[in-house]
Amino acid sequence: MSGETVGHRTLIATMGFDERHVLPSLRLMPYDRLVLVAGRETFQSPGFRRLKVLEPGLRTVRVDPFDLMGALESIRETIRRAAGDGPVRISASGGTKILTNAAILAAFQEGVEAWYCDPDPVRLPVLRGVSLAAAFSPAEGAIALALHGPIRYDRLVAAVTARAFARRTVLGAIRSLAAKGLVEFERDDGTVLVRPSPRFALFRDQLREVPIKT
Amino acid sequence: MTVLFGTLGWRPQSLLPSIRSTENLERVVFYHSDHAKSREARSKVMEFCRALGVTANAIEVSDAYDLLHVAGQIRADVRKDRAAGADLRFNIAGGTRLMSSAALLVCILEGIPATYVHDETYQEIALPLLRISYGEGLTAKQRDVLSFLVRNRDKDFTETALAKALGVHKATMNHHVRELEAKGAIARLSDPADARRLIVKPTPGMELLVG
Repeated sequence: MSGETVGHRTLIATMGFDERHVLPSLRLMPYDRLVLVAGRETFQSPGFRRLKVLEPGLRTVRVDPFDLMGALESIRETIRRAAGDGPVRISASGGTKILTNAAILAAFQEGVEAWYCDPDPVRLPVLRGVSLAAAFSPAEGAIALALHGPIRYDRLVAAVTARAFARRTVLGAIRSLAAKGLVEFERDDGTVLVRPSPRFALFRDQLREVPIKT
Repeated sequence: MTVLFGTLGWRPQSLLPSIRSTENLERVVFYHSDHAKSREARSKVMEFCRALGVTANAIEVSDAYDLLHVAGQIRADVRKDRAAGADLRFNIAGGTRLMSSAALLVCILEGIPATYVHDETYQEIALPLLRISYGEGLTAKQRDVLSFLVRNRDKDFTETALAKALGVHKATMNHHVRELEAKGAIARLSDPADARRLIVKPTPGMELLVG
């Protein structure tokens, strides 16, 4: 496919007990390395054994297929490791609903091509190379580092401007984080406090990945 | 006021925790299949909403096996409520895998806070989604080019024709096309009638990104 770098092509596929949900992906997507993401019981199933006969070199990643956040983290990690070797594609057609959703979410967060083949192939509108970390500016990353709990607005601005950001940039970044639903404001005795929203913790990893001025 | 969207399968318990936990809940809109057990679950959710005095709209999805069709339908509904000024939430826990994934896709693309409900504990779990449209991963110019190509999917455009149609210089269009191609949003394909010409086409599914 055009626009991709040459290298080891990895296909990461989710799987349940029935390998027939995975086979259309293997037929439609060229790959050099196959990684199967599934729950423990899948790896003991006849479907997996049949697939292993077809693809003896396949690698496996074991997840809890009923834990969306845990599966999401495992798939993201798998994508990152594979991305160093070449293009990565996701097939999210097999396994539990939760595992499928984790794979879709991981593909969007890491910016890798994702397909749903059950049975007809549907390509999901993921922008290749556009990861979640790209949604944050360096100033937003610096704010995230300074934000551990409620903090006075002016103190937060001072802390981040001290890291060589213009005041206007910092104010814009605070507004942007609020629009993204990651920080909230509260008034306390005439003072404005900025605090991380309950969703902030869900993005702490991505915010840490944003390149920050030193 | 908040409108809660949801997907429903056979178990009303997958949706009820979100109805209970949503502040300023004005309305519940949920999608379910035409399976008898799903209709049974719909009745229970409707009854629960009636008891709370909350308006509920149940939408039966006749073909719950077409991902992009279901996603397109859900997206049209959420956009209508968003345009009316409502805050939106989405519970993607119930329904078929395809229905739930279609809902997740819409939440990612539209930046809607989404939750799922744990199968055993019925605890609501927030998904890591930003309140921004996924299409913002493209520049305004890239969005213009992609929207134009999606609207005219049935026509063939070379880069030069595309530049002319959108009133930009060829070199500028080449830059946008290369950027869009690198992101996998478009592909340059050989013209079957003239192998020297490259036709620019949006990749499948891009309707959902800019439509």
